[in-house]
Amino acid sequence: MIKLINIELYKIFKKWRTYIGFIAIAILVPVIEFALQIEGHKSLDFMTRDLQQSFIFVGNLLNTYFVSYLILNSLSVHIPFLITLVAGDLLAGEATAGTYRLILTRPVSRMKIVSSKFIAGIIYTFLLILWLAIVSLGLGYLLLGTGELMVFRGGIIMVFAKNDILWRFLLAYGFAVLSMGVVASLAFLFSALVENAIGPIITTMAIIIIFLIISAINVDLFQTIKPYLFTSYMGSWSMFFDKPIDTYEIVKSTLIMLGHIAGLFGLASYIFYKKDILT
Amino acid sequence: MDSEKVIEIENLSKQFKDLKAVNNLNLNVYKGDVFGFLGPNGAGKSTTIRMLVSLIAPTEGSIKVFGKTLKQHRTEILSNIGAIVERPDFYGYLSAFKNLEIMGKISGKEISKNRIMEVLELVGLEKRCKSKVKTFSHGMKQRLGLAQALLHDPELIILDEPTTGLDPQGMKEIRDLIIYLSKEKQKTIFLSSHVLYEVELIANRMIIIDKGSAKVEGNVEELLDSKNVRVTFEVDDLEKTKLLLNNTLWIDKLDTAVNGKLIFNLSHGEAPQLNKYLVQNDIMVGAMIPTRSLEEYFLNITQKVSG
Amino acid sequence: MKKVFLLYFLITTICFAQSKDPNVIIKNLKDTFQKVKDYSADVDIKVDVTFLKVPEMKAKIYFKQPDKMHIESDGFAMLPKDGLYTSPLSLLGGEFTAIYAKDELFEGHNTSVVKIIPLNDKGDFILSTLWIDQSENLLCKVESTTKTNGTFTIILGYGNNKFPLPDNIEFSFNAVRLKLSHNSMEEENSNNKKDNPDSSTGKVFLTYSNYVVNKGIPDSIFLKKAKTSKN
Repeated sequence: MIKLINIELYKIFKKWRTYIGFIAIAILVPVIEFALQIEGHKSLDFMTRDLQQSFIFVGNLLNTYFVSYLILNSLSVHIPFLITLVAGDLLAGEATAGTYRLILTRPVSRMKIVSSKFIAGIIYTFLLILWLAIVSLGLGYLLLGTGELMVFRGGIIMVFAKNDILWRFLLAYGFAVLSMGVVASLAFLFSALVENAIGPIITTMAIIIIFLIISAINVDLFQTIKPYLFTSYMGSWSMFFDKPIDTYEIVKSTLIMLGHIAGLFGLASYIFYKKDILT
Repeated sequence: MDSEKVIEIENLSKQFKDLKAVNNLNLNVYKGDVFGFLGPNGAGKSTTIRMLVSLIAPTEGSIKVFGKTLKQHRTEILSNIGAIVERPDFYGYLSAFKNLEIMGKISGKEISKNRIMEVLELVGLEKRCKSKVKTFSHGMKQRLGLAQALLHDPELIILDEPTTGLDPQGMKEIRDLIIYLSKEKQKTIFLSSHVLYEVELIANRMIIIDKGSAKVEGNVEELLDSKNVRVTFEVDDLEKTKLLLNNTLWIDKLDTAVNGKLIFNLSHGEAPQLNKYLVQNDIMVGAMIPTRSLEEYFLNITQKVSG
Repeated sequence: MKKVFLLYFLITTICFAQSKDPNVIIKNLKDTFQKVKDYSADVDIKVDVTFLKVPEMKAKIYFKQPDKMHIESDGFAMLPKDGLYTSPLSLLGGEFTAIYAKDELFEGHNTSVVKIIPLNDKGDFILSTLWIDQSENLLCKVESTTKTNGTFTIILGYGNNKFPLPDNIEFSFNAVRLKLSHNSMEEENSNNKKDNPDSSTGKVFLTYSNYVVNKGIPDSIFLKKAKTSKN
């Protein structure tokens, strides 16, 4: 199984499209950080204008943590797209290339094939988020240094001491891997259904956007549906920036994400197992 | 037949929505056979082959390979099958060598670098082993397809149109390779091909299918009765020739005379004798063309079905 | 006649004894503080406001007469603008009218309560009430009403400092809910949503230590922007 996963990872990283995500982050994050280095004080002042009427601020809130926190918020749309680029191609790409006939006539079970592809997709997701973390925090540290983190959540202003932040980010990025894992699983499911990677990419993104729109509209029916939409939990990483941390909610969100991943993978596996390979 | 059965297909059917692509097919392939699997386009050949290598699940019937049911012993059976299914496609962004290496690893067997080079040499691709497959011609991909089928030295080799896209030299090389694998290595070959004379040359048993069902199955020589050959003579004066032959035994062997052509059913060796007789009697013989007997047999069988 | 004059004298003495000159009280307060030419001190800041969750912060404060102030911090610190008492003059800027209200015992201090009313309305203060220790001329408590930030209270505690500088300050204010920018996705996942009253009393506790008084502070320090000592 390890061998199969290694093969899948090798194939993933031999394709140029895999590097789009890493390059995009390598360009976008520095651009954001450089821009914030120059103009970030204005943004911070704007965000804290009410508070600064009553308080004098001393110190540098414009640091790697603030910037990385802002960047993590791009998890709603930008990063999912980069995930689907690869996850959507994992199975459909074989159909397009005609290589299903090659690999599925090997003496290895379809379950192992589909599992190894799925795990490779999750590993890619992890590596992409890890890259995001390294570039955000690492470059941010070089440009802006560290400091305290001011976070606005639910009408509360929270300031985290310098030594109380990094572990929160590690857990937040960990949760981000989980929520992006759901995105990867959804794209993987669609990839099992079709013979072209474009379909899974567009469909997955469409679903995410539609779910986000439904969640944002303040209509009773939609608000009832909201807790059942996985996009409602994609932002749960920010719960690690609460005082105190609501462990119950985090565990609940984690289980929901894991449940989605398991369910979507299960369905994809079943479809793949039963599929007649006609390409 | 005393040889053990390598492939046993019983009452095999495959229904796709409105189309029954394979309909109650039965066939047997014995150890050491070079088995010709023939049929017109849309007969169900590819569907049958895909079921044989478990790319498609049958709707009804059973497939046994090496005496074991495919459904229950899939992995074990596939470890001893090498197959080209339709057009061989590879990971174009990887080299030929790398593609084979990956196929070897997926198979779970330790395929050494030497073995990979050995099969590449066998199909004439050793010099292009490092080239990316996307730079290969169709013929080269065909060869590479054959290489991946032979990689793990399987007992049963399933070849779906293995010579498509090859030049005559290439076709001969593949033919010779198949004969070598059959005779020297005692491999069982399941060969689907449109190149009928090839099948006639190398297959010992064959089946013709049409509309998903078997039309005829058996020993090639017996089916074709190839002691008799149909030969077409092109002559300058058809009437004169007919008149000449009327009072000879050759007239019994004449099948058709039209448009300056006379078609005879001749035994082996009679064609030059007839040619000599005609020339000696001042008949100008423009051409002497033997008709491929399998082609005719095939057309007869399949036209009977459709007609 | 003698009896009438004596009675008049007694009444007058009693009346004058009950009414103090607030300007004198203020002057004494200012004069006492004149002992301090400059000082620096470490400040520990603890914030107790419903919608502010901040850890204990540390800063260093510099003061030089008459009104120069500079704050530094290794990290981030937020100090209440109104509660940042550096000298009595910070509360007594501009022209004002002082009215003596009463004497009051406040946390063990015999204090004179003086009301300060600014004479022009350009400043932010509308009314301030000062509790001034009579014997040591120390400011013990301030209650001020401002145009922009409502009413606040400062309670100053003194230790055994030979200078009129507080060891601790408790700053209480009306913390009106602030409009904050936020991320729509975060809203869903905050467990703090229910704890948002529109206004509540907030407190900031400042504890001063390591005073360095009258050792000379160069003016260049006060030209720096309030920032971290690292930058």
